[in-house]
Amino acid sequence: MDLKTIMTGIYALTHHSLKGLLFSRKAVITALVMLLTVAVMGYAGAQDVDALTEGANMMDVLILFFFMPVMAMIFGSSLIRDEIDSKSITHVATAPLDRAFAYIGYYVPLALAVSVSMILITTAGFLSFFLQQGIDAAAIEIYLEFTTLVIIGSFVYSSLFLATSVLFNKPVFFGLFYAFIWEGFIGSIPGAIQKASVKHYLRSVGSGWVDYGDISGFDASSIGASTAVLLGLTVFFLVFGAYLFREKELS
Amino acid sequence: MTASTKGAGPVIVAESLGKWYGEVIGLNNFNLEIKPGITGVVGPNGSGKSTFFKLVLGLIKPNTGTISVFGQTPWGNPGLHSKIGFCPDYESLPRDSTGREFLSLVGHLHAMEGAALSKRIEEVATLVEMRHALDRKTGGYSKGMKQRMKIAGALIHDPQLLILDEPLSGTDPIVRKELIDLTKRLNKEHDHVVVVSSHVLFEIERLTHDVALMYKGRTVASGDISDIRALIDKHPHNIVIEGDGMPSLAKALLEEEYTVSVAFNGDRDGITVQVSRPDDFFSGLPGLIGEAGCSVTSMYSLDDNLEAIFKYLVGR
Repeated sequence: MDLKTIMTGIYALTHHSLKGLLFSRKAVITALVMLLTVAVMGYAGAQDVDALTEGANMMDVLILFFFMPVMAMIFGSSLIRDEIDSKSITHVATAPLDRAFAYIGYYVPLALAVSVSMILITTAGFLSFFLQQGIDAAAIEIYLEFTTLVIIGSFVYSSLFLATSVLFNKPVFFGLFYAFIWEGFIGSIPGAIQKASVKHYLRSVGSGWVDYGDISGFDASSIGASTAVLLGLTVFFLVFGAYLFREKELS
Repeated sequence: MTASTKGAGPVIVAESLGKWYGEVIGLNNFNLEIKPGITGVVGPNGSGKSTFFKLVLGLIKPNTGTISVFGQTPWGNPGLHSKIGFCPDYESLPRDSTGREFLSLVGHLHAMEGAALSKRIEEVATLVEMRHALDRKTGGYSKGMKQRMKIAGALIHDPQLLILDEPLSGTDPIVRKELIDLTKRLNKEHDHVVVVSSHVLFEIERLTHDVALMYKGRTVASGDISDIRALIDKHPHNIVIEGDGMPSLAKALLEEEYTVSVAFNGDRDGITVQVSRPDDFFSGLPGLIGEAGCSVTSMYSLDDNLEAIFKYLVGR
């Protein structure tokens, strides 16, 4: 298999899937989450609070802590499974493209689509809060730091949920469990157990960047180690998912 | 135009092939050789036709036996897909895409791009008579249009082997005739090896004389369709005759050597005749009707469905 076949195949799948992810019902979900974020952060922004501390806390708890895994789950947990169930996967599975590379062709648009969605949500939340409290250099710094964190989170969570969409027949159930129970509950229990969540390492990385709010004082693992864990998890889930997809019988 | 396959050896060879899904058997000790030309794979629903195609395409792996396509093992061999075009029997077109976007996606997946891909899209769309609908969403296509577009997708990379799984299923008689003509053209003018499945024997007879009959995961007969027809005709057929004066026709039929049995149906306006030599029965029947002085309003065979034919063949 030559490089041209691989690159053309990945490009085709990225183009096709990105369009499907960004301009489907998932776009409506993104819009609804944006509205909810605007409502919650807009209300908080209307109060007499310490703008930078409260703004950072809102972006930490509402966007990074809650919506990040939920949106990745909504976009990713059924991406490949839906195509297997609808049998439109046939055109990919009967192409002269190794399925491991086809898997990358699903991952790239997924990570991009989740990133776009999360950037929109982060921007909407930021503006609704800081337009009332005043936007200065420190506020913009907070915005850029959290935007970077949600982009990193998009790539990590996308690798995880895409793998589950190949592994499970009903990946949404696992996705709901993981996003709400594991990341949402286990990830916030004090003690070492929270290190078993992706969120812990995202906040660890964030604690080294953000100077305001609870995240700045987060009892973190070292930033270098956290970055390595996030990178390692992403690569592991990508390789694991690609292997599963390659070996999967499409009956 | 594909590389010529005329005079070449078998394209697909399946030997002792077995595939099962849990306790359900898809194929069992399946043997078949498919040569260049058009080959019809005929069998009732659940006979294993689609399982066989999935094995040919490497979408599933066999539990036992071997299968080779152009001398290569399909499972884990994506390179082989550049030689195969597949038109599935199920809905596989992305609903939110236009025909052109669909063909572009499939073309890119086969490493085609730029002006060459655009030109090829126009060519195949013209070939399947779908050029006028290229820029319409596939979700709004009729059944026949969807079948044509799926065939276009299978043809985009100009494969040597074309697999059409139940392409005529659910189409009206006009579309059916057009698809049959198209399939013949793809072989005759474009030199594609075509393997086409159906659960209706007479449809395949209009396409090719080279058939393989499948039943319960096995090949029960393969070769020229006239030989298979002869094989079928050796076995008793059940024919229902309805009209007036059936008792005298029944009496006349019982005197014929080919009649195995005659039974009256309900109110004696109809009889079910079991005959051992259908050809003799059909040629002699007009004379018998005249002798008996009866009138026939309808006549039909109970064995026109494939299930009955396959039961004969398996039971022989």
